[in-house]
Amino acid sequence: MNCTRRNFLIGGSTTLFLSGYFPKISFASMQKKNLIIISLRGGMDGLTAIPVIGDKRLKKLRKKLILEDVLNLNSDFGLHPKLEIFHKLWQKNQAAFVHATNIPYTGRSHFDGQNLMETGAHIPYKEKTGWLGRGLLASNIIGKGLAISLPMPLLLRGVPQNNNFFPSPDFVETKLIDQIYNEFKGEHNELIKSTLDTIRQRPLSMQIATDSDDRKKLALEAAKQLKDQSGPRVAVFDLDGFDTHAAQGGVDGAHADELEEVNKIVTILHENLGQAFDNTLILTLTEFGRTIKQNGGYGTEHGYGSAILMAGGLLKKSQVYADWPGLKKKELFEGRDLNSTIDSRAVYNSAMSICFNQDPEFLRKEVFWGDELPDLSQELFKI
Amino acid sequence: MSLNFYRRVAFGLSPNEKPDKDPLNWAINQLDTIPDLLWPGTIPTEKDLRKKYGEWVYGDREVLRKKFKNDKHAYRKAKDELRIKTGERYFELNEHAIRHFQTKYSKQPVFERFWLFWGNHFAISEKDFLAEFSTGPYQREIIRPNMVKTFEDMVQSVTTSWCMIHHLDNSESFGPNSKKGMEWGETINENHARELLELHTVSPNAGYTQEDVIQLAYIMTGWAHKWDRKNLETGDIWFDQEMHQKGDKIVLGVKYKNDAKRELAKVIHDLATHPICIKFVSTKLCRHFITDEPTDEMINPVIEAWNKSDGNLIEIHKAVITQAYKYNENTHKFHPPEIWLMQLSRMFDLNIPLSFEKMNYTFKSKPNNRQRQLSWILREIGHSPYRAKQPNGWSDLEVDWVSPELLLRRFWFASVELPMLVKSGNRSHGFILSCLKNNFEDHENMASLIDNFKFGTSDYDLGQKYGVICNLPGVLKI
Repeated sequence: MNCTRRNFLIGGSTTLFLSGYFPKISFASMQKKNLIIISLRGGMDGLTAIPVIGDKRLKKLRKKLILEDVLNLNSDFGLHPKLEIFHKLWQKNQAAFVHATNIPYTGRSHFDGQNLMETGAHIPYKEKTGWLGRGLLASNIIGKGLAISLPMPLLLRGVPQNNNFFPSPDFVETKLIDQIYNEFKGEHNELIKSTLDTIRQRPLSMQIATDSDDRKKLALEAAKQLKDQSGPRVAVFDLDGFDTHAAQGGVDGAHADELEEVNKIVTILHENLGQAFDNTLILTLTEFGRTIKQNGGYGTEHGYGSAILMAGGLLKKSQVYADWPGLKKKELFEGRDLNSTIDSRAVYNSAMSICFNQDPEFLRKEVFWGDELPDLSQELFKI
Repeated sequence: MSLNFYRRVAFGLSPNEKPDKDPLNWAINQLDTIPDLLWPGTIPTEKDLRKKYGEWVYGDREVLRKKFKNDKHAYRKAKDELRIKTGERYFELNEHAIRHFQTKYSKQPVFERFWLFWGNHFAISEKDFLAEFSTGPYQREIIRPNMVKTFEDMVQSVTTSWCMIHHLDNSESFGPNSKKGMEWGETINENHARELLELHTVSPNAGYTQEDVIQLAYIMTGWAHKWDRKNLETGDIWFDQEMHQKGDKIVLGVKYKNDAKRELAKVIHDLATHPICIKFVSTKLCRHFITDEPTDEMINPVIEAWNKSDGNLIEIHKAVITQAYKYNENTHKFHPPEIWLMQLSRMFDLNIPLSFEKMNYTFKSKPNNRQRQLSWILREIGHSPYRAKQPNGWSDLEVDWVSPELLLRRFWFASVELPMLVKSGNRSHGFILSCLKNNFEDHENMASLIDNFKFGTSDYDLGQKYGVICNLPGVLKI
């Protein structure tokens, strides 16, 4: 890793970058590629999003959670009817799914699980940075992360000068920000100081006041920023509410409502990224899937294997990519959960290598401590 | 001793309070008794509010949804009327007023800081209508009275409270070999058992397994709300023998003999007195009052006090304060938005919460904007106290509270909203200077930063002044 360059960027300003002092790079890599991650907190049920078609055992174990009108993907898998944008994109080879996949975590705790899905590590709370933040840093892409949430997600930490967009109801004067900035000194104030740096460098359109309850407006602004050739290259959305222990439902119900939110975000991004959608990858991330069997409250418990929903022009083709483990009792993880046969970090590592123009082998070492993660770029993405 | 100690362990000093000669003693003497709630307006009981919760869910689910199943528009209108009638949009606002009135005027502000801490340790996150009806009274009636008892007593009360049981789905957990479990083909819901281990007591450091979680869930089966057609899930908590898993259970290597409702108290005793639990909770206390990454040296005296007093919370609290005092000069702690707001409110005598007369609600129309103001501010600065996203509550780490938008929202609040909360008698420059002097060693430097506006008393001028001083490093952080 080139420390000098990094320090230079942290300490210096991005104006040098804009005024052409950047080293020469090839045209292909000039075309900005966007990576968008949508975190689905609470444990997304892969079997509700991408149900297996005609599995008798699943029907028996989930009497109250069965979907009637699934959208067809192929002979084996269907798609939840609320995910219609994915169905539309599927026809154009711009949607795909990885199934029976998860981070290598089997502990079934949300907090440990979410910590690990963001850090990409094996021991909860051990790492203080996110895999996406480390990936950006290793690729020397600084100040190009955008979170669509009020706090800075752990996933993006590890690279300085990330931005977030979740505006306050009214405008804050630049003069005030400058005055406060000048008072922050000393080592223990570094985090706040560097955050203030980021604020001072925000584009004008992000200094507006808007209604942050309106997810549509937030996704619109994200699309606008991502479309900008000099704008962010990575965006992180945060959704929660996937922890449906009760009243999970089928076509309607608690899980369907959450999938509908994912659908909304992807729809807005697709509509507003325009041409830039061709150079974009959208991937979901969750801490675990859910049990095969419904529980006492017509919900499901914390499980293991889940699915990744993917959209964007950088996908190779429409497909459900899986090494299907089966749903017979002995094929399940601990006799209760869909197994995970693909370490989802391999998908994320490959996606970063495509979007950041990096060698996957290099990223695997820099970001995931050299863990055994096969390169799936050939199978999943356009190279 | 720096004046910042009054903010480290409390909310700073109000204009009519003066620094104490012996700050440590001042703080420690606040922990022996439970101060009365000072709010002069309505303080409804948990039971009354649960009744309202019941009216709301019954009215919506059992009446309106059926009555208007083909007319979305009429349904929405009827639902809004029901919200007004049951106070669905009001009670949370009232609870925020009770809470902030307490932290502003309490004679035992240090006690109040611990109240906030425990409410967050045993957090009720945003689920169903708990924030609307239940989390406030839960913190008043379950958390607060236990703060002069033992940690074990607190865990017992919390675990069998309606609010926590509903929050973590224990009423949906059936022993698979219980009478009802077998009749209805139902099984356990592990949620509550897992969080009792992970968040409330021993933490994952104890190395429990999935089997431990299942076994604990078995022990907990039967602790559920009573259900009837009218009150639905809002009935009292009881022990339903017919839901309880029969047989012996083993949790963390300890065997619990088949003993029906008595099993729970026994396992809670073992969990709440487990050395790993003691270390985990002591660390969290030190993190809250001292610094994000407390050292063993900071934590150990708290553990000692815990062991010596058999988990007496008064003694534990005193040990924490003693450590906070000891390390006051060379540690830093960033305060989350709600505590920051409470401190500003106390130090500058801001006009929040609204007076109890104006908070009065008649159940005839929507709460007005003034009544909603405090709750709206809390939400906008990112810290609506009953609406943590997950059962682990709000983070106590600086890194979770520092993002461009979270900082900007503080700037926004202090420069745009706060001036409208300054009382008419407090608009002079001299007032600000005296508050700064009362609370900050470097008040002269702070004053120099707002000297340009010393003659201004308009909202704009006040915004320029408060915008700066409320967001200085020594105010955001101790």
